Amino acid sequence: MEVFEKLMLLIYITCCSLLIVNGAIDPEVINKSVERNIDISTQLVKITHKIQATHTGKKPFSKYSFLVNEKEHGNLSFISIKDLSTKKEFKAQENKISAGYEYEITFPSTNNQHLHIECVFTKSLIPHPSKITQNEKQLVRYFGNAYFYTPYQVLTQKTTIQLPTSTVEYSTNVPMPVVQSGSRISYGPYENIDPLQISEIIVHYENQTPFLSVTRLERVIEISHWGNIAVEETIDMTHSGAELKGPFSRYDFQKDVRSGQSSIKNYKTILPASATGVYYRDTNGNISTSNMKIMKDSVELDLRPRFPLFGGWKTHYTIGYNVPSFEYLFNNGNDYLLKMRVIDHIFDDMVVEDATVKIILPEGASNVKLISPYPVNRKEDTLHFTYLDTFGRPVITFTKTNLVENHIHDFNVKYNFSNLNMLQEPFLVIIFFFILFGIVIVFIRLDFSIYKEKEN
Amino acid sequence: MLSFSGNLLKIVILIISAILSFSSRLFSVLKFESVIHEFDPYFNYRTTRFLAEHGFYKFHNWFDDRAWYPLGRIIGGTIYPGLMITSSALFNVLRLLNITVDIRNICVFLAPFFSSLTTLITYHLTKEIYTTGSGLVAAAMIAIVPGYISRSVAGSYDNEGIAIFCMLLTYYMWIKAVKTGSMFWATMSSLAYFYMVSSWGGYVFLINLIPLHVLVLMFIGRFSHRIYIAYSVLYSVGTILSMQISFVGFQPIQSSEHMLALGVFGICQIKAFVNYLKSKMTKEYFEVMFQAITSTVLIAAMFIVAVLVFTGKVSPWTGRFYSLLDPSYAKNHIPIIASVSEHQPTSWSSFYFDLQILVFLFPAGLYICFSKLTDENIFIILYGITSIYFAGVMVRLILVLAPVMCMLSGITVSHLLTKYVNFIETPFAEKVVPKVKQKRHQKKLEQQVGVKNEIAVGFVVVLTVMLITYTFHSTWVTLEAYSSPSIVLSARSHDGGKIIFDDFREAYYWLQMNTPENSKIMSWWDYGYQITAMANRTILVDNNTWNNTHISRVGQAMASTEEKAFEIMKELDVDYVLIIFGGLTGYSSDDINKFLWMIRIGGSTAGGADINERDYYGANGEFRVDKEASPLLLNCLMYKLSYYRFGQVYTEASKPPGWDRVRAVEIGNKNFKLSTLEEAYTTEHWLVRIYKVKDLRNRGV
Repeated sequence: MEVFEKLMLLIYITCCSLLIVNGAIDPEVINKSVERNIDISTQLVKITHKIQATHTGKKPFSKYSFLVNEKEHGNLSFISIKDLSTKKEFKAQENKISAGYEYEITFPSTNNQHLHIECVFTKSLIPHPSKITQNEKQLVRYFGNAYFYTPYQVLTQKTTIQLPTSTVEYSTNVPMPVVQSGSRISYGPYENIDPLQISEIIVHYENQTPFLSVTRLERVIEISHWGNIAVEETIDMTHSGAELKGPFSRYDFQKDVRSGQSSIKNYKTILPASATGVYYRDTNGNISTSNMKIMKDSVELDLRPRFPLFGGWKTHYTIGYNVPSFEYLFNNGNDYLLKMRVIDHIFDDMVVEDATVKIILPEGASNVKLISPYPVNRKEDTLHFTYLDTFGRPVITFTKTNLVENHIHDFNVKYNFSNLNMLQEPFLVIIFFFILFGIVIVFIRLDFSIYKEKEN
Repeated sequence: MLSFSGNLLKIVILIISAILSFSSRLFSVLKFESVIHEFDPYFNYRTTRFLAEHGFYKFHNWFDDRAWYPLGRIIGGTIYPGLMITSSALFNVLRLLNITVDIRNICVFLAPFFSSLTTLITYHLTKEIYTTGSGLVAAAMIAIVPGYISRSVAGSYDNEGIAIFCMLLTYYMWIKAVKTGSMFWATMSSLAYFYMVSSWGGYVFLINLIPLHVLVLMFIGRFSHRIYIAYSVLYSVGTILSMQISFVGFQPIQSSEHMLALGVFGICQIKAFVNYLKSKMTKEYFEVMFQAITSTVLIAAMFIVAVLVFTGKVSPWTGRFYSLLDPSYAKNHIPIIASVSEHQPTSWSSFYFDLQILVFLFPAGLYICFSKLTDENIFIILYGITSIYFAGVMVRLILVLAPVMCMLSGITVSHLLTKYVNFIETPFAEKVVPKVKQKRHQKKLEQQVGVKNEIAVGFVVVLTVMLITYTFHSTWVTLEAYSSPSIVLSARSHDGGKIIFDDFREAYYWLQMNTPENSKIMSWWDYGYQITAMANRTILVDNNTWNNTHISRVGQAMASTEEKAFEIMKELDVDYVLIIFGGLTGYSSDDINKFLWMIRIGGSTAGGADINERDYYGANGEFRVDKEASPLLLNCLMYKLSYYRFGQVYTEASKPPGWDRVRAVEIGNKNFKLSTLEEAYTTEHWLVRIYKVKDLRNRGV
């Protein structure tokens, strides 16, 4: 009886899932081989898939669905889908289906498609224990799936997990074969796995790399047609790893090498090569502990927060610099194109939870168009008033949540601007002084007194 | 009236002086950064920010719950708001013109800006008193005088920064009023006086000096209608205006500091009335009348004063004022006043350090003024003499002395130079003289000034050299002594590089970022303003030392054993304790060196009756922290918090661990544990240490 019920349930579930899947997914497509590499050696989870898909009916096909289950989708920050050999980027359509989120990839019709899919997840490594003392090591847990989550049959698949060190507290050792060699754990190869199979794995391991996330980033780009672009970033930062429990001892921190290994003492921010006039400050003034190295193709800032960041500790600062506008601003007559990065590299393997980018265009810019490299949330345009402005500079604002390094791409802003507008402000100053001098001239030459004092 | 080129020269000199006075105050920004300095400026900065953000009415009614926990402080009614209003008005004007300047930068550069204005007003004041030339010299001198720079460098955002300008402005208007006798200038001077009252407590000096001037003029028979008008208008309008400042309130008619002004006002009226009667009556009648009136008025006045004093309507003189008259008063009676270094009497060397050649030129200036007495000269003489007395009593009042030193020195230099330059023969003069007459003329000149020419040249050279050394001295003093923000410390390393100790901001920023928003921080009062401004946390006591008992309670906690202190800290609801410790870096003004004051102040109230200063001295009666120290000291909270885990640290080669570099001793109590507190944060160079007060233990555990 019991067995029968279970069987019925299984059949029912399979039917349902097949029904839903069937809507868009071609069941005759199979994954001939799948190779997954899960890199959890930093605070990010980076998964690269090498997929070889074919059609069992030997027919050409042009659509392939890549699935991300619902739980993981919340942490998915970045996904890129490429042809494995030509490295050509494919567009994918995101749909919500019952099995999770589907990325429907379209490519030129072929019998045999090799795909290279890269996903970056944030906040997927959970510190365990969640609170540690200063001298303890930071351990985290990774929750994953031993099988490739896919709507298609998989003939052969293998998963490799890359760890920062070989210290592993625990790792799931089913389904066999599971092999750990050094800082790698491999699951598989597994043969003939049915669609949508899940076999949860847990890896509990030591991860002392910085768990640092930018909780809020505000980036203001101010364009001057006199040749300068000023960039200023205001950053709220948190150590998002295991929280510090108990006292902080400066003595241990300075004398004991084992102490505070998971804390963050400094990190590297990379700015464009032409950046000048760099400043690094907070509400209390300049943060004197930083070094600047000028490299060939970038400016490297070695930033040290005022205090080392332990788990749960926060900091807030502002960093700014200037770049010459000819490198980023192009024009054809009165049509201008601004091409700049959405965000800078703040630190290695960074996580930006919430970014706001404001672009302040010169006064008088019109027909503004924003072309972003990926979907962003565009806010209402506002006006900004600064030196000698009369009717305000247009400000374009957009936000985006959950960004990682892979999001460092250029955005484009197109607008019209007449060069005559540039003369407006000097003209204003000239008129002001002209009037002032005029008044002074009139004032000292005329006698306004109503009563003449007698000469003594 | 000067010629056109003379006028141009005058304007150029003034502009150069004004620019110089602004730019020489920027050393601190160039050496460090655009940052607010010291302690009080942080409070002013915080209140200015509040005013700029919330507007005047919110500011006026501001009850600050971030300070003096759990008492709080009514900010609007306990400060001189002139400084904040000035800078936020500037800020708003700039905002109106769409000039986006940070309020912090306005605060940083306000004092240098007002110094430029002071330079201009000094010129005008000296010109009114003596000559245009002396005005120019005085302006040039005040631009760089160290005594004034010490309180007005960029970042030193304090009341004095604008108050000196207000004071000289009031004097200028007053001299104008005395000279012209016009109600316009008298009203202007009362407006200037109002500005002065709104910006600094030192206005009391001003409101005593002007009546003194009037009184002296009366005594030497220089009383006139001009002075009557000037003073009556100034006193009545000025007093009513000054009472609009809520911190001043009814003091101008109640407190004894203001009684001279009131008395002189009365005498003025009587004197004018008497003069009027005298002109209308015969001599005999007048004498009878005069005697009757004086005796009645005197008796009535004495009676009223006596009644007011006994009923307590006229407040007795405050401690700070007593210590002006008797320098030893504070030391004997009020430890909290005596503990402030800027309230100490001035040493002779600091006069020279802050004023250099002005010290020698000043008496000469006085002499020159005496030799040609006028109403306005008498004023400057009185100003000079009274301020030199006050500067001698309290070191920070050198600030009030500096302008008059500059003015009188300006008069001296200008007077002497004009005199001696005239004696110098120029080759140019010879050429002009026609050839025929030349021989005779030359002979005549030789007879008259033949020797004097060399002397004159020599004198001018000496004076020039002196002025040049003054410039160098001023620049050097500004650079070396007065341009460090004290919030960032710098030292030289072995290889000559500059090391920066930024520990204060590190600690304050840590507090701001990593403690709960409503944490209460206990620290010695010196750091109160900085903590509220930079860490934005609630503190128990701050630099506005208005409640002695509360400060004393903190002193008691610091001086008690850990268990006793824990009780006090729980009573005061303290979450964190912050202390300053210099033992690792050799920073000498740390809390251990201030500890004697904590003991004294802690023991000065009823709660600390068991705290006796003697008990904290070592066997031979010295204050020390090594093995010879008193066991009470080695186990008190301040010692434990300062030296927690320091016993393991090697600070200097060939010295044992736990070597205190400030006191140059090995500490007496190492390897102790804390039971009721835990280390929350210690800065990189151990300058600031923050401890968290643990919760009460659960029952039965």
